[in-house]
Amino acid sequence: MSLKNKLNRLRPHLSVGNQSDKSIISKESPDIEVPFRERWEEADVFPYFFDHNYCLIREVKYPLSQKHGYYRFQDFLTAVDIWNKQDVSHPLSARGFAPEELFFFDTETTGLGGGVGNTIFLLGYASIMENHLLVRQHILPNPGAEVPLYQSFLENVNYKTLVTYNGKSFDWPQVKTRHTLVRDHVPKLPAFGHFDLLHAAKRLWKHKLERLKLSVVENEVLGVKREDDIPGFLAPMIYFDFIDSKQPDGMIGILKHNEIDILSLVTLYTHLTFQICGIDPGQTRMETYEVGRWFASLGEKEEAEKTLSKLKDNKDAAFFRAALELGFQAKKNHNWEKAKTLFLDAADSMDMLLCLKASVELAKIYEHRLKDLQQAFFFCEKAISLSGAMTDQKLPDELTEERLYKRRLRLEKKMKKPQEIQEISYKNLS
Amino acid sequence: MKLKKSLSEILTDLKINDDFKENIVTWHTIPEKQAQTVPLPEDLHPALVQALHSKGIDKLYTHQKSAYEEVSAGGSFVAVTPTASGKTLCYNLPVLQTILTNSNARALYMFPTKALAQDQKSEINEVIQAAGVDINSYTYDGDTPANIRQRVRKAGHVVITNPDMLHSAILPHHTKWVSLFENLKFVVIDELHTYRGVFGSHVANVIRRLKRICRYYGSHPVFICTSATIANPLELAEALTEEKMVLIDNNGAPSGRKHFVFYNPPIVNKPLNIRRSATLEVRKIAGELLKNKIQTIVFARSRVRVEIILTYLQELVKHQLGPKTIMGYRGGYLPAERRKIEKGLRSGEIYGVVSTNALELGVDIGQLQVCIMTGYPGTISSAWQQAGRAGRRHGEALVIMVASSSPLDQYIIQNPDYFFTKSPETARINPDNLIILIDHMKCAAYELPFKSGEEFGCAGTEELLEYLTEERVLYRNGDKWYWMNDSFPAHNISLRSASQENVVIIDQSDTANVKVIGEMDRFSAMTLLHDEAIYLHQGRQFQVEKLDWEEKKAFVREVDADYYTDANLAVQLKVLEEDKLQSFSDAEIGFGDVSVRAMATIFKKIKFETHENIGSGPIHLPEEELHTNAAWISLQKPLAEMGQERLEQGLVGAAHALNHIAPLFVMADPQDIHVIPQVKADHNEKPTIFFYDRYPGGVGLSEKIYSDMFHVFQEAKKLILHCQCESGCPSCLGTEAISETAKKDTLKIIDSFLSASEIGKEVRTCP
Repeated sequence: MSLKNKLNRLRPHLSVGNQSDKSIISKESPDIEVPFRERWEEADVFPYFFDHNYCLIREVKYPLSQKHGYYRFQDFLTAVDIWNKQDVSHPLSARGFAPEELFFFDTETTGLGGGVGNTIFLLGYASIMENHLLVRQHILPNPGAEVPLYQSFLENVNYKTLVTYNGKSFDWPQVKTRHTLVRDHVPKLPAFGHFDLLHAAKRLWKHKLERLKLSVVENEVLGVKREDDIPGFLAPMIYFDFIDSKQPDGMIGILKHNEIDILSLVTLYTHLTFQICGIDPGQTRMETYEVGRWFASLGEKEEAEKTLSKLKDNKDAAFFRAALELGFQAKKNHNWEKAKTLFLDAADSMDMLLCLKASVELAKIYEHRLKDLQQAFFFCEKAISLSGAMTDQKLPDELTEERLYKRRLRLEKKMKKPQEIQEISYKNLS
Repeated sequence: MKLKKSLSEILTDLKINDDFKENIVTWHTIPEKQAQTVPLPEDLHPALVQALHSKGIDKLYTHQKSAYEEVSAGGSFVAVTPTASGKTLCYNLPVLQTILTNSNARALYMFPTKALAQDQKSEINEVIQAAGVDINSYTYDGDTPANIRQRVRKAGHVVITNPDMLHSAILPHHTKWVSLFENLKFVVIDELHTYRGVFGSHVANVIRRLKRICRYYGSHPVFICTSATIANPLELAEALTEEKMVLIDNNGAPSGRKHFVFYNPPIVNKPLNIRRSATLEVRKIAGELLKNKIQTIVFARSRVRVEIILTYLQELVKHQLGPKTIMGYRGGYLPAERRKIEKGLRSGEIYGVVSTNALELGVDIGQLQVCIMTGYPGTISSAWQQAGRAGRRHGEALVIMVASSSPLDQYIIQNPDYFFTKSPETARINPDNLIILIDHMKCAAYELPFKSGEEFGCAGTEELLEYLTEERVLYRNGDKWYWMNDSFPAHNISLRSASQENVVIIDQSDTANVKVIGEMDRFSAMTLLHDEAIYLHQGRQFQVEKLDWEEKKAFVREVDADYYTDANLAVQLKVLEEDKLQSFSDAEIGFGDVSVRAMATIFKKIKFETHENIGSGPIHLPEEELHTNAAWISLQKPLAEMGQERLEQGLVGAAHALNHIAPLFVMADPQDIHVIPQVKADHNEKPTIFFYDRYPGGVGLSEKIYSDMFHVFQEAKKLILHCQCESGCPSCLGTEAISETAKKDTLKIIDSFLSASEIGKEVRTCP
């Protein structure tokens, strides 16, 4: 190996200034022929030479004022700023990070699912660089070129945090797998943080979207319109064809597809931030509710209450759901009166399951906390009739008719001998 | 109330009770055997010495010591060990010793079934605990929860798995197992004898892939195999692992007294030479034992038999013991079901088990006192394995083999010397079967690119790589071949079944709760899951309402019928290519590629108690085509004095007898090798008998027959001569060869083949 190659390989360990602010594409060309080089260069794709081999890299810059869907890229800077000004713990929070440190990342592979033989042929990412959004895509020109592919990729990922769509269980494990095969020839994989936006999308939009593929979210939520897009499932076929023919045309279509995926991640992250932080004026009441519920499940009581309280003014589905959620919050805080009021609100819902849950909670609170057996009995009865009408569904144990009858029986007994029961329960409490 | 009888009382009973003693043709008692021991190795780690002491072990059996020494010298070996001879120490001791001196060392244990893997985990963990050392051993199979898989991959010193899991989950994800493959010191292959035929040929290729990945990560593990008694353990171990092996067979373990009884049911139909059904006799004997609460295991050859016997026995003891005290056990059951049965057996809540050969393997099920075989299990080693289930540890045990009317059974039961003295069968594999090899080359290429000059198997690796490149599965770049396809090849390749797609069995008795209750390979499904078939599962009867052949789904509904179904398969055969040919004056013997077409034709309904035929119906399933290997023998000229009809009957009769004998020679299940006659074979227009492998491409069974045709015919002749019938019966010649002269004609035909192939004895055996 030549000294230059050795140095190239060691580059990540040598401090020779910050590489990432320059274009990494070398204009020199060693004695290696790159088929259709001119056609590639027309599409902003240039070869990267390493170790007597090469991979291809495409670089595109966008001004921050560029719009993608409903947002401009500069809105992403605002999003990071919002997180940094808030003291809220949330899995998507960029608190402590500069915008430049986030890498929006997506891959294209030759097959589905994990497994060593599923080759990554395209590693693409976007990040903020000097008042631009820089998109960079590393392309595997043939299966033997994984060393230059990962070498070029790894010497340029100077990130702390990846932003992906399902990358936690797919893209990144696959990068690790393929990296293992060339690990003796390229730098180590760095440690990294990870924002997986698929999880967030599921949280917020499962109530209205049947499938949560990125293209669906783009279309339904982000206002991204794709034109002449190559569907992702064709990517392996097109790549196999490219391997055979070396013709760049099909691959250029895939590069475009991958680029839109990555740009949409920027828009999606921005949009999600605005949703979670409650500063999107167009937010639907259901979205507000889902954000509140997410906070509640994270144990961020204050944020949850703040968000859900916004739904007070209008008695729609979101209102009743919020009431139930807030009721549970109050219950956790042992604020029985407040919980009662909220559950009473929720019990007016037309949604049977929601109403059933609220009724059961009311029966419990009246029986054990507020010691109003009449009311407890009333809500228990109500729950029984609701549960009875829902036998076609699989209900949680606590909500089944059977369990509720037991509760009713116990309440009946208690009502017959109020004195004794009161004493016993007093003992239990003390 | 009648007092319960003990086993020794039962033994006396069998000897004096007229019901039984008449039918007992052989009573063979195998005496106790004293242990041969040597002191523990001097260099054994003190923690292990302590662990052995705490288990009451202060000496090793001779074979365990040999195993320990062989590994210390860095050699791979195969140990032949009968049931209950402490074979686990043969590998656990050297493996643990190595890990104690080098905590990075890793070992991979491979057992043919999950049940065995579970069992061995408990066993090795007991030793580890007693030694009080920090060694992790885990099972890794389909049941391993996702949250501990990571830990197994990173920190498991001993990873216990099965070949299927290795094939489809570990090797294709080897980058997640770097710490295992970099440090792999041992590969332990237990129950080596089960890796034969198609399954063995697949596993040999899985091992090729394993070794390839080990080489990539720089490890060269020692292979440790253990096997039940077969004729060629060393050859099999070397073929399977492609490693030089040493044979260890100085078994030093003691064994208890064992009574081996051959039981031949009385003849109920003299002219047809039909004996009382073995199933009914087994019901009588097993019922007697179970009523006395003597733990008994009953083996039956087929799934159907298992279910029938189970139904009988559960009915019999329903009131005394409760139906749950007798359970069925076979491959088609779902894992949870099987686990429950194994536990019940160990704890003694279950008195009886009716099993296919799934339990033949060394699952530790505690002490069963009696083993009953419904019919000869097909191979001698299988019979000994099953017999080993009774009185596994020590003490007196009883093994009863109840013969069926089948000629092989009758041959065995009337030639006890053959059984007790003949060395058991040869296990054959053919890892270079093109279909199997190509499948695994795909998997191998998926795992790591092939390099020019690399060898995988013996059949022209580079040529096969070029073929796969043309098929656009691989892509050649420079001197390497890369996987270039969007599929996951291991998922489409099953190691176990001849056909690669299984039929799923769906119970729709409860329309609100439709569920999958089992699965079956495609060829068995043709005759067991056709429309209207009665399918038995855990003693419950289901009728197949619809077999969706396209989707590979059988929809069944529970029914209560007093019959079961039995289907016929019609077979056509054509020679495609003659690879080897020996001509003699009277006959010629050939071997080559053939095409076999099979079609399920009709099924019969057969009544449970009386076994009478109470109806039949057609089966509408497409023909299945099979390309495989066959050996054949043809008569040069038709026997002039015999008419066409007599010749045809004679050939059919001979084929019937040969079909029973052939599996004996090649250690195959009877369904793995088939025999069919043709009065005028398509390729040479001569009277011919074919032996063909049931698996596409062949796994070496018919090739073995080709090299030993003379003996197969000789034994078939003996079988027919020994049969007590006068002119041929369903037992020796089958149901289609019925005529005054059938037996005479068949013997004549066999004789002319014999005299013709006498010279054929010299036929060179294949390398």
